[in-house]
Amino acid sequence: MSESQQDTRWQSQNPNPMAPRPSTFKAPDVLNYLCADCGAENGIKSGENIRCKECGHRVLYKPRTYRIVQFEAR
Amino acid sequence: MPPRSNDDPRRHVQILPERVGNVSGNDFPGHYPGEDHSWNLKRFKENLIVSLQRLTPSTLEFDLVGVDASIANALRRVLIAEVPTVAIEDVYVWNNTSIMQDEVLCHRLGLVPLKIDPREMIFRENPNAGALDTDTVVFQLRVKCDRQPGTQGETDPKRKYWDSDVYTGMLEWEPAGAQKTKWKRKEPKPVNPDILLCKLRPGQLIDLTCFARKGTGADHAKFSPVATASYRLLPHIIIRSPIPLEHQQKFVQSFPPGVIGIEKDKRGQPQCVVKNSRRDTVSREVLRHAEFEDKVQLTRIRDHFIFNIESVGQYRPEDLVPEAIKILLNKISAVEAGLDKLFDPEV
Ligand SMILES: [Zn+2]
Repeated sequence: MSESQQDTRWQSQNPNPMAPRPSTFKAPDVLNYLCADCGAENGIKSGENIRCKECGHRVLYKPRTYRIVQFEAR
Repeated sequence: MPPRSNDDPRRHVQILPERVGNVSGNDFPGHYPGEDHSWNLKRFKENLIVSLQRLTPSTLEFDLVGVDASIANALRRVLIAEVPTVAIEDVYVWNNTSIMQDEVLCHRLGLVPLKIDPREMIFRENPNAGALDTDTVVFQLRVKCDRQPGTQGETDPKRKYWDSDVYTGMLEWEPAGAQKTKWKRKEPKPVNPDILLCKLRPGQLIDLTCFARKGTGADHAKFSPVATASYRLLPHIIIRSPIPLEHQQKFVQSFPPGVIGIEKDKRGQPQCVVKNSRRDTVSREVLRHAEFEDKVQLTRIRDHFIFNIESVGQYRPEDLVPEAIKILLNKISAVEAGLDKLFDPEV
């Protein structure tokens, strides 16, 4: 196996770009919740019905927010 | 003075069936009447032997002969705990939706050996001050798992998804300050790009920033440059009287292959001879058989140390020992300066 081939084997393969890191820590107006039944993403504003727009399921999961946390690598 | 012989019983640590004997050396002043055992640099130099036995890209085996166990042990301990390396110390997790908890993932990142020459970095002086380009190396890890299109019926996650496995090769160095020119063509990166850090499933992502810093194994094992450094004493086998022909095969088989050979003596009779005692594991198997009683003596040479060192990858194995000796010499200088102060009549 050539050197360059070996180098890229362990690198990221996903062609889809990742969303940039948020520059502010302000909470967004629309939060994307995940349906507990079908897994669809649901953009829900505050005051809106808590209900999946795809299947009507009433349990939604809140994904982890994009916020920095410091850890010691120990 | 004639060169010292391995057959000198004063140099032997006895390997007996139930115990080891003659463990401590007696070559200190006043022990043997009429013999001068005061420390003498010229004599030490004559007796000191350092010889390389085996060198591979990752391991080193060398002999150190003519020093006290305290010196050999100091060298071993400095190699393990005081030769510095660079490892990930702080991790800033932006997001991690994988199954692995942040603290577990960060602990794993800390253990990844990094190919950064520690001699080109300084220790971080003030933990409260900001990071400098001379004491910190930054890596970014940004991975997201997605479903690959057109893979219906596929069961292998590696073909079904993109980036379902997160490897150390995905850590990307972010040059800061003068680092880009300083480390041109020797970019900091993990020693092994193929260490699996975590697994992902579609929709999960890991996004974090790592700060790598210089440290020593005394602080945390992740900084240790060796895996590991150890020594053993050279085995020395003495055949006291000839082994009878009918027992020779059994005698040979009581040792690992290559230790004992059968050779014809002057009269053409086959005799057991010690071929290579270095290969002996000192299992003491030969001492279990009554027919070999008093015919063989197992010993080790007390001041012949066989060092085995495996580098983790930050240093070349041949660079590790000189680095350890430098650190040891600095310690000696520190003690020397302290003693000078202690006995200085001016103070
Ligand atoms: Zn749903």
